Amino acid sequence: MNFSQQAINGLVIGSGYACVALGWTILLGAARLVNFAHGQMYMLAAFICWFILTRAGVSYPVAAVASIVAMALLGVVMQLTMNRLVMTQNLTSLMIVTLGFGYILQGSAGLLFGGAPHTMTTGLAQKQIRIGEVWFTQQDILILVVTLVLYAVIWLLLKRTRQGSIIRSVAEDPKLAQLFGIDSRAVYVGVFVLEAVLVAISAVLVAPRTPILTSMGFEEVITTFVVVVLGGIGNVAGALIVGMALGVFTAFFGALVSPAYTTAAIFAVMLAFLIVRPGGLNTR
Amino acid sequence: MTAVLSARSLGIRYGGSIAVHDAVIDVGAGRMVAVAGANGAGKSTLVNALAGWSRGSPTVSGEVLLNGQNISGLAAHERSRRGLQHVPEGKNVFGELTVDENLNLVRKGDDAAGRYLFSREEVINLFPRLHERRTHKGSALSGGERQMLAMGRALLAGPRVLLLDEPSVGLAPRLIGEVLAVVRLLVDRGLPVLVVDQNVRAVLEVADELYLLERGRIVGHGSASSMRHDDRIMKAYLGGLTE
Amino acid sequence: MTKLDVERVVSKIDRPAEYRRPLALLAVLCGCIAIYLLPAWLGGSTAMYGLFVMIAILAVMALGVDLVLSYLGEVSLGHTIFWAIGGYAAAILSTTWNVNGWVTATAAIALSLMAAALLGLATLRAREFVFSLVTYAAAVVIAEITFNTDALGGSDGIVGIPALRLPLGFAVFTGRSSADLWPVAFALLLLSLLFVARFRRSRLGTEALMVQMNTPLATSSGLDAHRVRFLVFVVSAPITALAGWLYAYQRAYVGPDMFDMYFLTMMLTSIILVGKRILLASTIGVTLLLIQQNYLSIGGDGNKIVLGGVLVLMLVLWPQGLARLLGDIFTMIVRAVSGRWSRVRTSEAASGKRLRNGE
Repeated sequence: MNFSQQAINGLVIGSGYACVALGWTILLGAARLVNFAHGQMYMLAAFICWFILTRAGVSYPVAAVASIVAMALLGVVMQLTMNRLVMTQNLTSLMIVTLGFGYILQGSAGLLFGGAPHTMTTGLAQKQIRIGEVWFTQQDILILVVTLVLYAVIWLLLKRTRQGSIIRSVAEDPKLAQLFGIDSRAVYVGVFVLEAVLVAISAVLVAPRTPILTSMGFEEVITTFVVVVLGGIGNVAGALIVGMALGVFTAFFGALVSPAYTTAAIFAVMLAFLIVRPGGLNTR
Repeated sequence: MTAVLSARSLGIRYGGSIAVHDAVIDVGAGRMVAVAGANGAGKSTLVNALAGWSRGSPTVSGEVLLNGQNISGLAAHERSRRGLQHVPEGKNVFGELTVDENLNLVRKGDDAAGRYLFSREEVINLFPRLHERRTHKGSALSGGERQMLAMGRALLAGPRVLLLDEPSVGLAPRLIGEVLAVVRLLVDRGLPVLVVDQNVRAVLEVADELYLLERGRIVGHGSASSMRHDDRIMKAYLGGLTE
Repeated sequence: MTKLDVERVVSKIDRPAEYRRPLALLAVLCGCIAIYLLPAWLGGSTAMYGLFVMIAILAVMALGVDLVLSYLGEVSLGHTIFWAIGGYAAAILSTTWNVNGWVTATAAIALSLMAAALLGLATLRAREFVFSLVTYAAAVVIAEITFNTDALGGSDGIVGIPALRLPLGFAVFTGRSSADLWPVAFALLLLSLLFVARFRRSRLGTEALMVQMNTPLATSSGLDAHRVRFLVFVVSAPITALAGWLYAYQRAYVGPDMFDMYFLTMMLTSIILVGKRILLASTIGVTLLLIQQNYLSIGGDGNKIVLGGVLVLMLVLWPQGLARLLGDIFTMIVRAVSGRWSRVRTSEAASGKRLRNGE
């Protein structure tokens, strides 16, 4: 096993994990909403990008943007459907609604795109770069760079802008925010759309690395969940650090033990954490 | 002269039990109106309902009018944007945000008519401590500072009417007097204020009118000077007054 | 409010078990016989028996989740694990050692109890959505492990499960086709329903309801909320496991597709469609959903959209379920009719009669 190669792999995989988890942790922190459709949204974003790329013959950046816009619209539709439930603050029901949506998305993707695996060729995944004993692709660099930039942008948004303060205030106390003239419901819609956009970005970046299937998305949910649990709900910096660490863990575990059981191993890590800290997640 | 804020036949109930019956309240321009009553009389419930706000889910009937317009159908954030500023009891500032961030959350309403506009400087002048602690998180402030911050942000929003629920709770006696003096200043400038407070004696010193609430019903209303000698006030606060 | 008062309130909420009254008991008995004979009356084809067996299996599967939902107020997204344990226990034990149905059933129950105990311990102090998240994650992970482990059949699963053999002392029951298995499926459904009905009356059942409705009061009366949650979760597992057990025999095959989102969604939708804390919720719900799947099908993927769509729509529009909705409509009709009557009466009567307040 090549140590530095696995380290680089780990960072790339980790960026992928961190990127996918970013929107989810913000949504959970700000709206206390567990989006179970997260995995299917990731899958759908990848497929839309692939479809536009292969059928419409446009360039990768255009297809990526189209996919992101499509997912943003989907986010609006989903959130508007859920809006009634948001008012009653019934978080369990909201959670199950997203589960139902996920299943709808899975069926829709099956109808639209079929069940066969496809590969998204972006040209970048093919361009290899070799530095000494280590090699990686341009796609890998793209994932790493975009993830870091995205995290920086989101962090600045949350900590340094008024919109970020609004999101954080709604995360802390949505009722009190109303007295400040803030429409918490509108913030929920905004944050949900943000999650849709972020998951779409991560899909168009990471999906080209492996073949895509309409049945995929579940592993992404697990890793996202673990990143958020260990990094802290709504904790942006935590998500980045844990995501990267988890990626490196995945790379080395896959090389040393077995690539098939990495998700199980990640889950075991999280379970161990939960047993040591039985309080589990603390939002306040 | 029509009041700035009025309630007509305001009824509030939680499930089957009625918390407030048929309340009628008027808060006029330049008037400081106090609402007094024993614990559990429904004072907070009443004030919250005026703002269209609650930590629970009550059913509210009746009308709330702001400058003659019926705002009963408006959500709490809408009423806030229209100038109905409510400073609730309990948690009224964001602990995770700094003083500056709390204040920056507020955006003044577009229509200036009838609003009492306060600039950032004016608010700092009223509450100098806020400037010293501007980078501190809300949770790091003392009770008095938090109260000042809560009121400061309400003023920054350019209120047409101000509702204060238990502004003196947790404050040192000297501070209570200062806070109420500031409120009186604002009222003298024309801002209508409705105050609910356990500390009736202190409030009566600065208020113009008083409503007495007993088990959800308004059982008395009059000028502060006449109500000061009302037996029922003494009865309601037997042994509960702070000095 | 004493513990006795709370229990009295609780028993008023759940309609009393009707089998206590003799006439009702007779009606239920007739109903059961009728339903047992129904597939034969409807043609007796393999497909018909297959549908009925499937309804029974999925209804029992969903009862496990229903127990947790109705009595703990929490959503377990991990019951597919127990479902799969039941199926795989039947498959592995019968194909490897050719043991009879009682042995495989016992194994299914025992293994699911152990799995539930582990999962229950891990989520002991977890709040609602953490519980749902962890159970969901556990299901996905175990699905992946199953998919990758050759000893469990890997991605191909386990084929060639022999016919169900249940030695009954005087005879041996063997079931291969759906028509053969229908008595077993029907019996399993009845037993599971009886179990849940009894659970309602049991100490654990009332404790669970008390904890769900007023946790501080329940705790101050000496109830350990964590213990109650743990026990209810563990008790619910074998129910779903036995459904999986029968499913294995019916299909003669198990595979990682037992972890498919289809089963999870079916479990949740069938209960939510009808309503919580209704004994026959999962049975009626599964019946309705399987009728759509069989007779109004729009293809595998289309049906996914329908199933997911029903779940979303019910939660957004009628979260209390159809039962409550129908009940409300019925009440509205009754009120409208009786309101009209009272208006007719009072207009004929002399003045001075008190008018009934409209609502």
